Amino acid sequence: MNANLRDLFLSTFFAVVLGIVASASLLLFLGKNPIAAYTLLATSIIRDSYTIADIFVKATPLILTGLAFALPFKASLFNIGAQGQFYIGALAASAVSLALGERLPGLPGILLVIVAAMVAGGLWGAFIGWVKAKFNSNEFLISMMSTYVALAVMNYFLRTALMEAKHEYPQTDTFAPRLWLPTIFEGTRLHAGFILAVLFALFTWVLLYRTDLGYRIRVVGHNPTAARLSGIEASRIYISTFFLAGALAALAGVTETNGVQHMLVQGFNPTLGAEGIGIAILANANPIGIIFAAILFGALKVGGNVMGQMSGIPASIIEIMEGFVMIFVILSYFVRNFLATRRAKRVLQKSLAV
Amino acid sequence: MINLLSRALLMSTPLLFGAIAEVFAERAGVMITAIEGIFLLGALGGFVGAYLSGNLYLGLLLAIFTGMAVAAVYGWITVYLKQHQIVTGTAISILAAGLSSYFMRVFFGTPILPLTVEPLKAIPLPLLSQIPVLGPIFFTQNILTYAIYGIVPLSWFILYRTSLGLTIRSAGENPEAVDVAGIKVDRIRFAMVLLAGAMGGIAGAFYSIGFLGMFTTNIIGGRGWIAFAICFLGNWNPLGVLVGTLVFGLAEALAIYMQSSGTMLLPNELFIALPYILTIVLTISRKSFNVPAKLGIPYRKEN
Amino acid sequence: MDSPYLELRDVTKLFAKVVANRHVSFSIQSGEVVALLGENGAGKSTIMKILYGLYHADSGEILINGVARKIASPKDAMALGIAMIQQHFSLVPAHSVTENIILGNASGRINLAAYQKQVRELATEYGFDIDPAALVRDLPVGVQQKVEILKALFQKARLLIMDEPTAVLTPQEAVKLMAFVRRFATAGHSVVFITHKLKEVMAVADRIIVMRNGEVHGDLLRASTDEKELSTLMIGRELPPLPKELAIPASAKEMLRLDGVSIRDAHGGCGLEEVSFAIREGEIFGIAGVSGNGQQELCEAICGFRPLASGSISLDGRDLARLGIRDRIGLGIGYVPADRQKDGLVMELSLAENMILKSSYDAKWKQWRLLDRPRIAQYANSKIQAYSIKAPGPDAVVKELSGGNQQKLVVAREVDNGTRLLIFDQPTRGLDLGAIDYVHKAILAERAKGKGVLCISTELSEIFALSDRIAVLYKGVIQGIFKKTELTTEKIGLLMAGYAIDAEIPNMTKESAK
Repeated sequence: MNANLRDLFLSTFFAVVLGIVASASLLLFLGKNPIAAYTLLATSIIRDSYTIADIFVKATPLILTGLAFALPFKASLFNIGAQGQFYIGALAASAVSLALGERLPGLPGILLVIVAAMVAGGLWGAFIGWVKAKFNSNEFLISMMSTYVALAVMNYFLRTALMEAKHEYPQTDTFAPRLWLPTIFEGTRLHAGFILAVLFALFTWVLLYRTDLGYRIRVVGHNPTAARLSGIEASRIYISTFFLAGALAALAGVTETNGVQHMLVQGFNPTLGAEGIGIAILANANPIGIIFAAILFGALKVGGNVMGQMSGIPASIIEIMEGFVMIFVILSYFVRNFLATRRAKRVLQKSLAV
Repeated sequence: MINLLSRALLMSTPLLFGAIAEVFAERAGVMITAIEGIFLLGALGGFVGAYLSGNLYLGLLLAIFTGMAVAAVYGWITVYLKQHQIVTGTAISILAAGLSSYFMRVFFGTPILPLTVEPLKAIPLPLLSQIPVLGPIFFTQNILTYAIYGIVPLSWFILYRTSLGLTIRSAGENPEAVDVAGIKVDRIRFAMVLLAGAMGGIAGAFYSIGFLGMFTTNIIGGRGWIAFAICFLGNWNPLGVLVGTLVFGLAEALAIYMQSSGTMLLPNELFIALPYILTIVLTISRKSFNVPAKLGIPYRKEN
Repeated sequence: MDSPYLELRDVTKLFAKVVANRHVSFSIQSGEVVALLGENGAGKSTIMKILYGLYHADSGEILINGVARKIASPKDAMALGIAMIQQHFSLVPAHSVTENIILGNASGRINLAAYQKQVRELATEYGFDIDPAALVRDLPVGVQQKVEILKALFQKARLLIMDEPTAVLTPQEAVKLMAFVRRFATAGHSVVFITHKLKEVMAVADRIIVMRNGEVHGDLLRASTDEKELSTLMIGRELPPLPKELAIPASAKEMLRLDGVSIRDAHGGCGLEEVSFAIREGEIFGIAGVSGNGQQELCEAICGFRPLASGSISLDGRDLARLGIRDRIGLGIGYVPADRQKDGLVMELSLAENMILKSSYDAKWKQWRLLDRPRIAQYANSKIQAYSIKAPGPDAVVKELSGGNQQKLVVAREVDNGTRLLIFDQPTRGLDLGAIDYVHKAILAERAKGKGVLCISTELSEIFALSDRIAVLYKGVIQGIFKKTELTTEKIGLLMAGYAIDAEIPNMTKESAK
């Protein structure tokens, strides 16, 4: 068991390093010195407290979309639609924020925004769970497609009801400052959303591993037939996990609109959903691991941006880095399994030789 | 109206290439969840090849090659290393998104104006294109659209009337039977993934050089996933897939038509979302599926 | 001396967790039927899969006609004239008989009509009644086996390996199969017959190789051995007898009652047709039959997994019609399913987590809305002790346990859940004799507590050893209900094949009506 745990940490570490090295090598074709570029990346992300804090700002929505994939994944459900649930959450948060204006004091106002967004995203997600339960529809396809529908819904509102006062750009007006998520550290962008995200990661862990509902989610995930024969109704599990997943992704919408942008802009953060999947994979779908994986991706994003500004390296290098890291992590699953099997066989061979 | 139907057939073409690609791979037991990435890099490869050589057919060749390269990585990880197909496909799609803008930068720097090539031309077939109504719809198309007339019957024949097809179908239904019959399951599955890569590459290239004449990083916009969905909805059968692609081609042509006609009766976004809504509705309403029994499950022997 | 047709020398095979074969050597002559005898897990299938190229040995060699051959894949084996019929057939259910037979044996364009004709001729030659165009999933298992045999004949196999071929057959079908095997060998071919049944070995084999724990423990000519010797070689020790059975007191109440229960099956599987019987407290009611004749459907109907088309089921006088699965568990129905890994366990979860599978809603496992983990672990621990389950602890993952220990775990859980009625479907399938003995004792102990027991098995010896009364199920219909003493193997075999024998046993309708 110890050897397996050691393999887990070592192989994940090497996967991340290899992913970074592989993407660095691509810089050569752009005529950039990868070593210099990555030295810049490493030093730039810790150059001042603003940049360091930004890592956690970037990590915040990633934790939530990571959870939005990981939780249904534990029930063997594929939520590829976190991006859409995120948009719906952002849309609901903006609508409520704009409608509230200055009418409510800060805290109750923010709470109302959060609840509204989570319910909206939750219902958007629960629809997927419901058709899975009722018609046994393929949730993978439907969640995938629902993202494009959510995008269209968001664009519609940004063109009509929620469009800014001047009617020039597809974006909303700025929200009332009292509805902004409060900053945790003066002089940085780090807002209370990060704490919320971490709390929800802990909540998800407790739910999965310490409650009977989480137990049943895992039972359904591993063996739906045995679950049914044991009187566990998978349909309820489908609906409730997809509701929770949608709500988590929608919360990411709140942290971005009310925490960072303070408005809603068309088509922003278009890769959060996919990155969430990457983070969940990197963390082996463990909610606690997701916090750290999201911080790693956050650092890559911040560093990649700084690198781009300072040395003209395209921002797409971030996606490439993320992609390579994910692929090497998947390969590390294979390597780990291979090592464990070989180890067990060695032990047998020894016992045979005696 | 004729214009709309002709457009519908045109827009069906890449979806058909992609969906038939999925049919072959999924019949052998492998879902190509990297299809969005294959489309995207195929589109890129097609554009780069066509722009640099000035020859659209060299572009197509490069698209096939890039599609197969992406598929080879996907196939190696999922078929030989037995890793999770959905997870691997997502990773490859993210990587492909990054690589597409990276390679644009490598080859073309940062141009002020978007680069363009002359897209594939419609080639009116002699005589046939003169037939009223049918001529402009069916016989005034580009070469890739003509190809679909042959691909559907050919795919059907291979799948249901040849020993290769029997092996492919058996690999998806019960790989153990294939193994026991002395055929390497992984080899046939990997071959089908490569085939799907080649066809998916062509499908992607259709968007860049067959239609728009340019490349942008969001050129595919989920069309790979629609092809994936059509394979499901068409019941893993080339004929069913044909029907599916025509419906989606029509929906897409309708969306373009509505956008350009400027009628504001219904919001524009509804038409843009139409193919996706259609997928959701059809997925929900389809009752009986003939899913290959071992679809998505790697073939493992105890060891 | 001539070298034998085929020889295995010193073959060793390691799996990740077990030594499957250890220095295995034996030979097979032309025209000889060799029985490979051993318990489950003795390594019989593995050694034959190595010979067929499905597995690769870690060391050792294979000689054919005295020449060392490398068999890297089934293709190599087939080229050498070796064919193997797997225990769980390797047919494609969605494809036709002909398509299954020509898989891997045809190339290019397929002329289906011509192949169908060829298959039909081959079938006629061997006296098999098979429609070459039928889909395999529509065929009974006995016929599916014939498809597998035809496949081997189509390949012109010289050596036919059959893995537990009689497991899915009625006694009469088994006799026919053995006749085929003898006929096939007479033509100069060889057969390896893998089995754990001593009777079959004595009936079919020329020579017997006994395996235990991956090693060869005997290589004997049938003519010079007997069942007693084989049994000792196979088990390696004596088994204690089952405890004496108790008589059911006349006052015992009737508890489970089925009246005219019918189930429709949409998926081409077997339904149930007008099934009626009753079980009394402290009674073991056995159900015999070839697998796939409605046994699982019967269990699932009682558990609430399948809706009834007509009829009624009641427990302790209470009609179950409106109760769901969870309610029925609450009434005290325990169910040990035939396929424990698929239906009864969650292989990736821990032993402790599997113990609460059916009672996770129960408040006794919760404290402050969270799971009371120490309590659950303690419960699991007590069962590990009570059932001597070999496991590192309650946190061990179930898939790391052996099949026997997994089954003990399911039995331990269900015995606690089933305070009134216990349903055992194939309770000892795939277990070694030690575990079988343990499970049998557990079943008898629960009976002694006054619980009602429904025991389903395709192993007649098991049915006879445990049951007070026996019913035979064929195509979803009860062929009759008998006291154990009223039945012989021959009679039960005829019933299992669907032959009515009312004339010989006049009382059966009366009994079933009671």
